[in-house]
Amino acid sequence: MRRIASSVCVALFCVVASWGSAFAFPPIQRTVLDNGLVLLVSEEHSLPFMTINLMVKTGSKDDPPGEEGVAELSATSLLLGAAGRTLKQINEELDFMGANMDTSANKDYTTVSLRVLKKDLERGFSIFMDVLTKPTFPADEVKKEISRTLAAIQALQDRPGAVADRAFQKALYLGGPYGHPTEGTRESVSKLTREAVRRFHGLHYHPDNAILSVVGDIDQRSIDGYMAPWLKKWPKAGLSEKRIEVKFSTRKETIKVNKPVTQSNIVIGNGGMSRDNPDYYAAQVMNYILGAGSLTSRLMEDIRNKRGLAYSVASAFEARKYPGPFMVFLQTKNSSANEAIKAAMENLERVRTELVSEKELEDAKKYLVGNFPQRFSTQSRIASFFAQVEYYGLGLDYPEKYPSLINGITRQDVLRVARAYVRPDESVTVVVADLKEAGLK
Amino acid sequence: MKRLLLLVCLAAAGVLPLFSPAAAALADHVTEVTLANGLKVILLENHKAPLVTFQVWYRVGSRNEQTGKTGLSHMLEHMMFKGTEKIGPDVFSRIIAQNGGDDNAFTSTDFTAYFENMSADRVGIPVELESDRMHGLLLREEDFKTERPVVMEERRMRTEDKPKAVMGEQLAAAAFLIQPYHWPVIGWMQDIARYTVDDLKSYYKTYYLPVNAVVVVAGDFRKESLLPMIEKAFGPIPAGVAPDQRRDKEEPQLGERRIVVRKEAQLASVEMTYHVPNLHSPDSYVLEVIASLLSGGESSRLNQTLVRDKQLALSVAADNELVSRDPNLFSVSADVLPGKTTDVVEKALLAEIELLQKTPVGARELEKAKNQLEAGFTFAQDSIFAQAMMIATYEIVSSWRDADKYVPAIRAVTAADVKRVAQKYLVPENCVAARLVPIPSTQQKPVEQGSPKQEQIVR
Repeated sequence: MRRIASSVCVALFCVVASWGSAFAFPPIQRTVLDNGLVLLVSEEHSLPFMTINLMVKTGSKDDPPGEEGVAELSATSLLLGAAGRTLKQINEELDFMGANMDTSANKDYTTVSLRVLKKDLERGFSIFMDVLTKPTFPADEVKKEISRTLAAIQALQDRPGAVADRAFQKALYLGGPYGHPTEGTRESVSKLTREAVRRFHGLHYHPDNAILSVVGDIDQRSIDGYMAPWLKKWPKAGLSEKRIEVKFSTRKETIKVNKPVTQSNIVIGNGGMSRDNPDYYAAQVMNYILGAGSLTSRLMEDIRNKRGLAYSVASAFEARKYPGPFMVFLQTKNSSANEAIKAAMENLERVRTELVSEKELEDAKKYLVGNFPQRFSTQSRIASFFAQVEYYGLGLDYPEKYPSLINGITRQDVLRVARAYVRPDESVTVVVADLKEAGLK
Repeated sequence: MKRLLLLVCLAAAGVLPLFSPAAAALADHVTEVTLANGLKVILLENHKAPLVTFQVWYRVGSRNEQTGKTGLSHMLEHMMFKGTEKIGPDVFSRIIAQNGGDDNAFTSTDFTAYFENMSADRVGIPVELESDRMHGLLLREEDFKTERPVVMEERRMRTEDKPKAVMGEQLAAAAFLIQPYHWPVIGWMQDIARYTVDDLKSYYKTYYLPVNAVVVVAGDFRKESLLPMIEKAFGPIPAGVAPDQRRDKEEPQLGERRIVVRKEAQLASVEMTYHVPNLHSPDSYVLEVIASLLSGGESSRLNQTLVRDKQLALSVAADNELVSRDPNLFSVSADVLPGKTTDVVEKALLAEIELLQKTPVGARELEKAKNQLEAGFTFAQDSIFAQAMMIATYEIVSSWRDADKYVPAIRAVTAADVKRVAQKYLVPENCVAARLVPIPSTQQKPVEQGSPKQEQIVR
């Protein structure tokens, strides 16, 4: 491999937007290496450190049946030992540099990130690549990690919001690759093994299945000197994307979970959309008006400001690689659970039967477009922004295009997407509450 | 900064970045101006991205409250979003949002803070809105009537239904008998039910004054143009009389205190806290290093021993309250793994403290702890929000200039300091120990280890 910057597909974008304050987006340089790795580099030299963020295009959607949780366990286990380094040595070295290395998985993808001072890049990146490409997954450490995961799953039961979300996802997805929690279940995790982790890593952790973003105090010399030698030793695998099928429940149902809590935690939702759905932007506008505007949405205005029923109430689309849910979540004291559910349902009915006002539409556009630059407020936000742009195929000119994608939405578009994606008649409602107090028993 | 208990006005707004103290040479970059009415304005230009954070910090928090009216500062924080005589009700956040901004607020023991994160060209919007609500708040009965139950819901969410939060609240109440840190920032439920609009009006009148506030702005602006805007908007507000900020101090503790919270919970938890000085004492920086030795990073002592080697805890933490207006607590804590006992975990925590007192920390380990604190300090500068917040919290507690002392003070800590400070403060007679002991629910059968779900699911 030649110098990375001279390989195929070099695109240098340094876009100055024509709106707002002539916002200068962070510069971004995109390179596809010979082994298929997409490298995104954004230089900014005001601070002496950088954020390195590797997105591996595998997540819990790729957990084999019976091995739910293995994607996340594989991510965590990367740090348990690598290329002659023990867990203790890895941690000692990282901590001595004051560096932070983290791994996490979601349904679609896994992220391995490193924040490191520029002076420590060479040492830090060598650990990063070792854990990524040569993890040893020591049996005893993996076993400990499994017991910790089981305890963490148990501890989730103390978070009524998490209990509600798990029950909701389980009921809505009708099984399938998106249906289980990323961390797995007690049954599945207790059966996971070092071998399952090793196999999962071998299948998915390859350069042609990954996007590497580097943001901050980085330059071509450091890339050539400290990063390229490692990256070019990482062999490609010739992977092709395995598409998954997502099926949603369409039967209206209420799931009641009894728990000794003072507040009922409520989730209401139905099957939604994927990130590449052409309706995504209209849905964002609709959802802003309905329940995403932090203190100003209809749900907030009605359920919090007018009725004083909840501290927080919001709606959201989980628009993933494949379709995810549309959902409303709120908490209210047990005795007002029914009233809050009724109020939320009325708002869902209203947004799908009446046109939103001109003013609401304009306000939503002004916020969504005007707030866009906040996505570039820190290195890690910039890194994750560009990784997602690449992952979802939005194009590096996405920041430039974004205002027109939003500004073109009409009131009719909003009504149309509300009808299509907000479906109270097909909704799953989960209530985690003291059911007796909530009048639900 | 666990015990700081940041109360955000809106749950959905997510996580406020935790910062470590800031830039090596803040003094070279920060501009401080005090207006004729006593309002302090602190500006930090940062042109990395065309964004700005505008923040107003009032020197009022739960430490300024009275018994029977705890949580009043936080209640007033909520009411600050309910409109002014000039702009009317229900529009504050709407105007910010129409300008692409995000706004919110948080209350702690020592302060109440409001912020707007905007694109740089919209900085004039929060200047106008924040100056307006510094003196023209409506405080209508009808808004209070709906907002009080919202705060009660917030308390249920943050505290009542979180076993560890309940333990933390009771721990603070046991640790502070005199100092106002005794009560929770959000207030006791009975107090939330008690206050009136008149309480809020008089509290607002006493504390929301230019002489009792600090404006902090960080980001992409030119002070030559921003400062005149701030002077024009805030300058005409009458200064008022600076409120008396002195509060009674805790008397030395006379022996170990223990509390137990028995509550439905999945995991037991153990926390041990010790009264310690704040940043006015050099010892406080030694305690920062001790916290880092104990739980900074995966290789730290508590992580290595309790989590990895002995497998006693799901997670561990050590916290020091450095930037605290009144002296606060140092704490070590652990979430107990199923099958292990609180006794064993407490002993393991104490053994680590004893080790600090008996055996000098090695040079490399000490260096590692310092490196982590310094790197964390550098990393925190990535966010203008965190920068502004650091400047403001230091200013509330002492002076923003003290932030520049952080790294040198950390660097100066020796192995002998660590031993001496551990021997001085982390001793039984200065300890308040808390345990969360799970009890089986009255509504459900106790869980068998490994059984699938605790909840009874009724469809």
